[in-house]
Amino acid sequence: MEFIGEHLVPGKLGHFFVITSFVAAFFSAFSYFRAVRTEQTDPVASRSWLLFGRGGFVLHTVSIVSIFAALFYIIENHLFEYHYAWEHSSLSLPGKYLLACFWEGQEGSFMLWTFWHCVLGLVVMRTARGLETRTMAIIALVQVCLATMILGIYLGPEIQLGKTPFILLRHSMQNAPIFASANYMSFVTDGNGLNVSLRNYWMVIHPPVLFLGFAATLIPFAYCIAALWKGEYQTFIKPTIAWSLFNGAVLGTGIMMGGAWAYESLNFGGYWAWDPVENASLVPWLTLIAGLHTLLVYKATGRALSLTFVLLLLTHLLVWYSTFLTRTGILGKTSVHAFTGDGKALTYHLLVVIAILLVVTVALLVARWRGLPRIKTEEETLSREFWMFIGSVILFLSSIQIAISTSIPVWSPLAKWISGKDFAPPTDPMLHYNNIQVWIAIITGILSASVLYMRFKNSDGKTLGKRLGITALIGLAMAAAIGYGQHITTWQYDIMLFAACFGIVANIYYGIIVQKAKFKKLGASVAHLGFAMVLLGILLSSYNKHAISFNITGEEFNPGKKSAAENAKENSENELLFRGVASPMGEYQATYLDDSASIKGKDKIIYYNIFFERRDPKTKEITESFYLHPDAFVNTKGEGVLTVNPSTKHYWDHDVFTFINHIHGGQLDKGKSDTISYKSHMVEKPGDTIYLSSGFMIFNGLDRRATDHRYSAGDSDLTVSARLTVYDNKGKAVKDIAPLYVLKNRREVLHVEDTVAGMFLNVRFENLVVHSPTSVTTEIMVKQTDSDFIVLKALVFPFINVLWLGIIVMVFGFFISLGNLLSRATASKGQPE
Amino acid sequence: MKKTHIVLLVLMVAAISVLVSVFGSFSTYETFASAAKQPGKSYYVVGNLQKDQEMQYDPAKDPNHFIFYAKDKAGNTSKVIFNGEKPRDIEKSEQLVMMGYQDGSTFHCSRIQMKCPSKYKKDMVVEGKSS
Repeated sequence: MEFIGEHLVPGKLGHFFVITSFVAAFFSAFSYFRAVRTEQTDPVASRSWLLFGRGGFVLHTVSIVSIFAALFYIIENHLFEYHYAWEHSSLSLPGKYLLACFWEGQEGSFMLWTFWHCVLGLVVMRTARGLETRTMAIIALVQVCLATMILGIYLGPEIQLGKTPFILLRHSMQNAPIFASANYMSFVTDGNGLNVSLRNYWMVIHPPVLFLGFAATLIPFAYCIAALWKGEYQTFIKPTIAWSLFNGAVLGTGIMMGGAWAYESLNFGGYWAWDPVENASLVPWLTLIAGLHTLLVYKATGRALSLTFVLLLLTHLLVWYSTFLTRTGILGKTSVHAFTGDGKALTYHLLVVIAILLVVTVALLVARWRGLPRIKTEEETLSREFWMFIGSVILFLSSIQIAISTSIPVWSPLAKWISGKDFAPPTDPMLHYNNIQVWIAIITGILSASVLYMRFKNSDGKTLGKRLGITALIGLAMAAAIGYGQHITTWQYDIMLFAACFGIVANIYYGIIVQKAKFKKLGASVAHLGFAMVLLGILLSSYNKHAISFNITGEEFNPGKKSAAENAKENSENELLFRGVASPMGEYQATYLDDSASIKGKDKIIYYNIFFERRDPKTKEITESFYLHPDAFVNTKGEGVLTVNPSTKHYWDHDVFTFINHIHGGQLDKGKSDTISYKSHMVEKPGDTIYLSSGFMIFNGLDRRATDHRYSAGDSDLTVSARLTVYDNKGKAVKDIAPLYVLKNRREVLHVEDTVAGMFLNVRFENLVVHSPTSVTTEIMVKQTDSDFIVLKALVFPFINVLWLGIIVMVFGFFISLGNLLSRATASKGQPE
Repeated sequence: MKKTHIVLLVLMVAAISVLVSVFGSFSTYETFASAAKQPGKSYYVVGNLQKDQEMQYDPAKDPNHFIFYAKDKAGNTSKVIFNGEKPRDIEKSEQLVMMGYQDGSTFHCSRIQMKCPSKYKKDMVVEGKSS
């Protein structure tokens, strides 16, 4: 059957390049491998194999870029005959999110990862020199594995190898009856669109940075493999340090962006939740940093080579393991935001890839283990290498604890088989991780403060003691001041506070006094300073993180039917805000003013306008006022689940972080509430009562004055206002209202309604029947809509800026070191031998 | 024996004791009945919503109080009090992972994770404050 309206060319081209990229990567890996094998025996052949390998890798890169272009063309032109475009984009999607929907899906994010490998691979190809053949053989091998992820080839009737992004909609849903008609495309008019919660600038920048960080772990991995393969352990040092520094900076930035995204625009209630997906990116970073430090030890002293290999090789394997954890759906029960799995095929596929890489790594390590250069003598206790080594081991232990706790779903079947217990994640994950990691933070904090003062091989104990003593004392004073001011009373966290303060003081002192602030040399102390600031920021912002929104609706809404145990819930951290009614929230008065909906495409986002004001407790004068606009939307892509974005007021020393937990009435139920009709009430004389669903109104009489600012009387208008007082259900007067009855030019009737927002009350002066000068019947129409309220949670994060600043400082430190290393490398290259 | 070895040995001992304590803080998946054996202790219970039984939620009275009935994997039904707001579209959920403790015939739940039938929707976690 011929289908009408399909554009098959970009898909066919894309698929062609998918195949080409796979074949080219394979060819490149094979050629580089042959180049290594013929290196000694036949240099001429080796040289041509090398050129073949380069050609293959360049062709592979060109293919990957072409796949990118083809898929981007499909998304940009809204070719919904392709499943990927239909699934991840829609006509109404703003242009800036086209890239985001590119990597919303499994296939696209694999391609992003592959793409970065290509870019980094080209750099390695140009710079690796004597190690090019071996590093590139490994890089190309990994590219072969990654290329299979988007192959989408059937190996049997049921087994599909990878998923191609170029599959047609009618192929992915073969049984749908719509595809029986040749003109099915005229029915497929729009795509599913990008998940609204991902429609965010973070979604545009976070994945590329994070994937660059993941991809960069391949390069130290490749260099370590190359060194082991060659059995030569000198030339790999410098490039591996450089790449590890780059990697630490980029992956660190990526993790920070993830935290900032969670903090700024997702409702995880903070920046870090020890969620498996977050852990999956943190664990490789920890092993990478540990490996970088042992490598520095090896460079300076010749020690710790074996541990360096273990750590740096493990880092890349952990990235694959992370992919396995987060993409196969194995975390299903335990993670907030793990990808939903693509089923068994991907699970086995990833397991095979991990197995291949693991076998290569372990086999090489085992084969070379005995021959690795080691130093027989013992380290001095006051040597830098000794403490760096210990710090690295501590970081490694930290990563092991996080990895074991995150991997529960992986090992729990085995544990169940052994112990009969069905293990579940800890009921309080924050506590579970914090209780252990606080000690890691303390030890690494103190080490990062003191280790720079020591020299490699041995240090002068006297100078060391003096310098460390001074800085530790200042750090202690600082910690005491902060701990007292911030009421940090848990002793473990007091020690951590000291470690962080010591780290800050010691590294500033070291940078300025010892290194005389020579910029090029500041890398390590700046990175350590940043790390100590991160510790301080985490401690201050989470230890004193507290809610200021409490459910204080009080007796009016709480009839006291609950048991004593449930009353203990007084401190529930959700506050009910009725529209137009000010409620106390911490030191503020918060008022939910109104909401507005933006209707773009199918997704209705509702913005809530919440007014905060703070009054001086004595003078009652307003000292500060601001608006926050948290929003909420019903996610049409899923099952209509309510998704919310927080809104935050930033101060220099703390943040007020608010998000909506529940909405009722207002724009959400717009359309529904309009169906509630007005009820007519007749009043004759002042004192007549109109009963409302919550409270009542007393009629005070008629008046010729028109005080409503929305109406200005014309010369020939006849205006009457009905004076009414509204009382709530406890008999308290709420508001005087005066709806108007207007005879415009004495001909046309006009009603100007009055409202009581807090009671959702609309009052209209409908009609006036004059029986005699003393007897007048007034018709009042009343509409009381369903209540309109939101449930808001507001948290205060003190000193969170210290955390963000710390991460930036740390990343900056990595780049200083990297810059210094590269400039020395170019300088030494330029010198005549 | 080298100093490094001593230190590593100490660290190993520390690591092992940490691991043991880590395992102690892992929770387990239970049923309503098995959770009732340790009243007050928090567990995870996997079950599904009993749609034919009444759900009570009145946010105007208390936005953090939601009552429903759930059936666990063993087939027993229990009343569940969730100290949080009613998860939107809980009616559509396929599976609930509830964290909390059993007290008599009531399961006091402070966190719910829902699994929804849509393949493309992420799992959703709702947290409440436990009393």
